Amino acid sequence: MRLILATAALAALTACSGNSSGTKTNTTTTTSAVTAAPSPATAGTVVKIGIDLPLSGGDASVGISTEQGALLAIEQMQKSMPRGFTLQGVAVDDAVQGVHNPEQGAANVRSFISDNAVLAVVGPYNSNVARAQIPVTNAASMAQIGPSVVADNLTLGPEAKQLRRTNPNLITFFRVCTTDSRQGSALAQFAQSLGYKRAYIIDDNETYGLDLADRFEKDFTADGGTVLARDHLAKNTQDFKALLLKVAAAKPDVVFFGGVTSTGGGLLRKQMYGVGLGKVAYFGGDGIADLATVAGAQADGSYYTLAAPNAEKLPAAQAFVKAYRARYSSDIGPYSANAYAAAQVAANAVIRAIGKGGGVPSRADVVARVATTKIETPIGSISFDKNGDVTNPVLSLYGFKNGQSYFIRQIQLKL
Amino acid sequence: MIYVYFLVAIAIVVAAQRVGNLRAKRGLYFALGVALLCAPIFDRNDATFNVLADAGIFVILALGLNIVVGYAGLLDLGYAAFFAIGAYTYAMMASPQFNLHLPFWLLLFLAAAFAALFGIILGAPTLRLRGDYLAIVTLGFGEIVPQIFQNLTKYTGGPNGIGALDFPSFFGRSFGQNTIPYYYVVLGLIALVLLFANNLRDSRLGRAWMAIREDELAARHMGINTTAVKLAAFALGASFSGLAGVVFAAKLSLVSPDLFQFQVSVLIVSMLVLGGMGNVPGVVVGALVLVLVNNVVLPQANVIAANVGLHVDFGNYHFFIYGAILVAIMLFRPEGLLPSRQRKEELHHAAA
Amino acid sequence: MHEFLAQLVNGISLGGIYALIALGYTMVYGIIGLINFAHGDVYTLGSFFALTILTALGVSGELHGVALVVDVAIALIGAALLCGIVGVLIERLAYRRLRNAPRLAPLITAIGVSFILENIMQVWKGPSPVSFPAVVPNPSIAVAGVAIGAQQILLVGLAVVMMVGLQLFIHNTRLGRAMRATAQDRDAAQLMGININKTIMLTFLIGSALAGVAGFVSGVYYQSTWFFNGFGAGLKAFTAAVLGGIGNIGGAMLGGFLIGIIESFATWKFGGQWSNVTVFAILILVLVFRPSGLLGEAVFERA
Repeated sequence: MRLILATAALAALTACSGNSSGTKTNTTTTTSAVTAAPSPATAGTVVKIGIDLPLSGGDASVGISTEQGALLAIEQMQKSMPRGFTLQGVAVDDAVQGVHNPEQGAANVRSFISDNAVLAVVGPYNSNVARAQIPVTNAASMAQIGPSVVADNLTLGPEAKQLRRTNPNLITFFRVCTTDSRQGSALAQFAQSLGYKRAYIIDDNETYGLDLADRFEKDFTADGGTVLARDHLAKNTQDFKALLLKVAAAKPDVVFFGGVTSTGGGLLRKQMYGVGLGKVAYFGGDGIADLATVAGAQADGSYYTLAAPNAEKLPAAQAFVKAYRARYSSDIGPYSANAYAAAQVAANAVIRAIGKGGGVPSRADVVARVATTKIETPIGSISFDKNGDVTNPVLSLYGFKNGQSYFIRQIQLKL
Repeated sequence: MIYVYFLVAIAIVVAAQRVGNLRAKRGLYFALGVALLCAPIFDRNDATFNVLADAGIFVILALGLNIVVGYAGLLDLGYAAFFAIGAYTYAMMASPQFNLHLPFWLLLFLAAAFAALFGIILGAPTLRLRGDYLAIVTLGFGEIVPQIFQNLTKYTGGPNGIGALDFPSFFGRSFGQNTIPYYYVVLGLIALVLLFANNLRDSRLGRAWMAIREDELAARHMGINTTAVKLAAFALGASFSGLAGVVFAAKLSLVSPDLFQFQVSVLIVSMLVLGGMGNVPGVVVGALVLVLVNNVVLPQANVIAANVGLHVDFGNYHFFIYGAILVAIMLFRPEGLLPSRQRKEELHHAAA
Repeated sequence: MHEFLAQLVNGISLGGIYALIALGYTMVYGIIGLINFAHGDVYTLGSFFALTILTALGVSGELHGVALVVDVAIALIGAALLCGIVGVLIERLAYRRLRNAPRLAPLITAIGVSFILENIMQVWKGPSPVSFPAVVPNPSIAVAGVAIGAQQILLVGLAVVMMVGLQLFIHNTRLGRAMRATAQDRDAAQLMGININKTIMLTFLIGSALAGVAGFVSGVYYQSTWFFNGFGAGLKAFTAAVLGGIGNIGGAMLGGFLIGIIESFATWKFGGQWSNVTVFAILILVLVFRPSGLLGEAVFERA
């Protein structure tokens, strides 16, 4: 009896050989949304674009609107697919216990790689997840297009080289957003233009925040400003007054915060009022775009950049904004347009790789096509430089008034 | 398909625990071992073995903590600290960080030794504390270690951690980005750890641990050097965690402080509580069940929900699941789902 | 000097909140010897209750005059009462069965309860920090050049009043005596006709209500709350209780203020990123070298 059980178990184990379904993937067939597609009967071969984003926990609100941007692009690109091909978006979640998790991110791209139909990946949202994923996608020659990951060292410098050490000469990671250093320098320039000379820099001691603060520090100093001091926030604390007392004693014109609202950016701004710093300007990157959710009207006097153009303002984006509203009956999120563009880049590369031959292209083919991308997207025309960064990076600058964020201007950075 | 692996493994371990016949039991374990060893020949899905290797890492962690909590009865709430120490040992000594590139296999031993050393450093002054105080001290330690790694940016890369760790190699062949070699390393380590855990339990030391667990005062009067014996439990438990840390770091090729938070320690405690503290098969099953839930079921449920427009955030329920396991098991089945016969009797005897 | 004083004032205010939380920790530990790990989460729950009550009252900003007194009283008492009930429920459902179990069992359960509460709060108000209305006006006076806010004075005053009240209650009332008797020898107390279940229930009611008060106070003081606040604050309050001598009510207060001041100074001198490390290092050092804390003798002496 026992032996039978054991043999059954063995048989069951061996039975799964050859099956290549991924582990944590759920296929979002876009067909439900595109039932109006011209000829569903010819849809024989399925090719997929993987989407890896934080869909639960703290980043979910932004993660989901980003995911929807990508899925919308895939639905719309369906029309342009060559005969006999169906394009699908496969979305997975890289958050564990409510926090984006590098290990989960790496596991997710591994499951994409195990699925032969996946030809490119859109994502992730967070830079430290990207650092775990890029070595894996690089080894598999899988194109990966980041909608919002801004850390410089993903594409630039020796660290980026280490990330792609399996195929050092093959760029597989691209991004449609700009980088920390550009956000940092744009903010530094803006601070100077407002006449601010003395900055106190604080970060949340996490990957994104630390990098951003480093870049601001460098550029602000280079532009002739004085950095009074540099400090870091404690984890899991709600009291930042001790830190802010130090800041108040230094009498800055501007407090720069590298980090996100939920790791302390919101509370820091709020508590500035308690130590007499309420009138001092508060600067941050895209991480504090949702500052008002915590700080309310006390967010006034704060400024931030988004590593994306303001899609509502760009003429090219109007159609996208409308389509998004129609499809999801909600407004776009901060990175929906970027994700749309990223998915558009991926789908466009797949289509070109299928080309005249008509067969399923290899992943290497797709990577080569991504590198030579030149398309119009809701965030402007996109092409990539030799590192995988966009050649035409656009930033937008925002401020807060009456607890509402308002658009100030677009910043076009030349390389 | 990943479910099949988990469910079959769990079923076999449970079946083996239930059969009384020693030969049948051995047969079942042998079959499981052979099946696991041969699986990659038939199934070449890299992602599957990635999840299985992760599961194996947690099995090692759970078995290590089981020595401390299950055998010796010392509640360690900061076990992830030793996991971090193991992982950072590999990251600092096999990466461009300091341009040290020591071999993986050497570092396995080094990290185990390091973790054990820290176990002793933490344990020596604290082990005379009563159980609940010890738990809180270890919790404090578990909070401090990742924060120190996070703050000493110069040496540890700070919040970014250390990336691009060396690929291990086996007789000159690099593991590269494949997960199957890691899967085999994990299987090997589990076998090693199981050998240790089982032999220790039946050794003089193991009996001393259990004596302390049941009644420390009595144990001391029986001539057991309770401090030395407890330290041994701490050091051994920590060393298993160090081993797991090395494999974890090498496979991910990245370490960062956020991977070793308090939640990880509680997750491992939950595995023990669920499966049955002190019982090796129980602990293995507890680890497998929770990894399955955590790494496979919840993310899938989440995406399915998100895609049908229901934003029920299943990813948000990890805390609830651990919490419910801890409470429900302690209240209704303190011996765990798969206890050893001995433990069950002890607990029910104590209650009577 | 100015900065030193400013940090000192800040540390004392912060310590007031820790002290309020530590009181509940110390009471429960003093009487049934349980580290109620979920206590920090009851504190957070208090701020959530207060927020809900204030929202229901239609309060969204600063209050003055009668409205200030009435609405604050409703929110404060409401939060305390609801937290007290939650505390009693937790004891009844999760801890009572384990009263005679091995020592670690209720601690593990308490961690479980803590996780469940955190999860409920996360689902209730979301994973990000939530804004809390600034109900109490905060005019400040300058003492030696350091601005001290009305809220800070009220906060510390409230903590001291609660501590003294609790002390008087335990030493001068029948119920207080019952508590002390239960702490010393549960069986003997029972034989003397003390209803143990009721006494322990009362302990949880008072301890959790104090956490509720702390939750309200911190909500007003920081104008925000977050589902995960209780983890860090709870650990620090526990450290405070241990530092003062767990089971000792005056000690909890002393420990609370000390931890607040230490945290403030650590941030000032070593940088924010080291403040937690400093506090937890103190926790370890105190437990290792002086487990009975600064004030030693517990109010609730245990057999």
